[in-house]
Amino acid sequence: MLERVYRGVCLPATALAVTLLSAAALAGPEEDRLAFVNYYQSRFPDIAFDDFANGIYAIDADARNQWLEIEEFPPYEFAIEQGEALWRQAFDNGKTYSDCFEEPLVEIRAAHPRFDVTRGKVVTLEVAINDCRTAHGDEPYAYDASEMVELTAYLAYVARGGKIDVPIPEDQPGALAAYEDGKRFYYSKRGQLNFACADCHVTSVGLRVRADRLSASLGQPTHFPVYRSKLGGMITLQQRFAGCIRDVRAKPFDLQSPEYRNLEFFLSYMSNGLTINGPGARK
Amino acid sequence: MAPARASKRKRMLALFLALAVAACTTDFEKQYADAEKWRQDAAASGYEWLETEGLLKEASEQEALGNTDAALELIGKARLQAEMAVRQAEHEAQAWRTRVVR
Repeated sequence: MLERVYRGVCLPATALAVTLLSAAALAGPEEDRLAFVNYYQSRFPDIAFDDFANGIYAIDADARNQWLEIEEFPPYEFAIEQGEALWRQAFDNGKTYSDCFEEPLVEIRAAHPRFDVTRGKVVTLEVAINDCRTAHGDEPYAYDASEMVELTAYLAYVARGGKIDVPIPEDQPGALAAYEDGKRFYYSKRGQLNFACADCHVTSVGLRVRADRLSASLGQPTHFPVYRSKLGGMITLQQRFAGCIRDVRAKPFDLQSPEYRNLEFFLSYMSNGLTINGPGARK
Repeated sequence: MAPARASKRKRMLALFLALAVAACTTDFEKQYADAEKWRQDAAASGYEWLETEGLLKEASEQEALGNTDAALELIGKARLQAEMAVRQAEHEAQAWRTRVVR
């Protein structure tokens, strides 16, 4: 009897649930983004959409007050100055970084990450900078080199006030595939602690991990690179990815690996419409 | 010597050598190779855990010092981690879909 009930009711219900979940998992990027924004706005109804660009400081009032104090003498100012000097420095052939980018200076940050159809891969700001260097006969920087972070700090600074605007054109299946790969990475549990990015930054957002609160993923890419007080230096978004991966006791990927570039692409798309406010300062 | 007899002798010799090599392969080498294979599978799936490679390296160091028991214990830990990582990758191939915000 029970078996008959299971076959008659539970099996179709289970099949329907799996179908619905699969359909949700396969929803288009814009449906994903709207659901993502709606989730955080439902969790934190008092926070205005654009305030999510401030990361954890939108959620944690005490930390926000400390941060506002820090912002009076921003610890990332030196990086901006260094980055500007590097940006203006000509290569041996007389060309400069500006010669490598189609966009005006203030729009370069907002134009990355983007999907390069010709190369079939996501190009982040760091990759574009190294491409520029090699195109003009210079050695690429290591992706955690201080010069690399300083250049991106400068480009973020001059882009302040612009909006994150990552396109995924319908006629670019490669872009959609990269987005889907980043999405899969974001929601997949990994490491000895069996954690997904979403476990901390969606499910447990705002809760404490030791003395700190977990930030929302909505807005995370807007303020990088950041000066981290505990490290005494600047880090890129992908260095933060590597830190999280290590924290869940999984082996980190190389900076600018396809995994991290696609994750950055997905997360940036989720933050479309938010204001660029990097570089930032974090604990 | 008749060709058929020579061929049989060669086959016997090859079998003998194979058995001798197998007998000389230590417990450490066999278990290390097995754990390393699992680790490579975990790495190929993108799910390798943080400590696995380090455990295997430490096991080699202990073996070189003559501490085979300690080395085998470390290999056992590495093997378990690597297999768990492979199982995690298999599970997550579909399970991630259930967590998508909708």
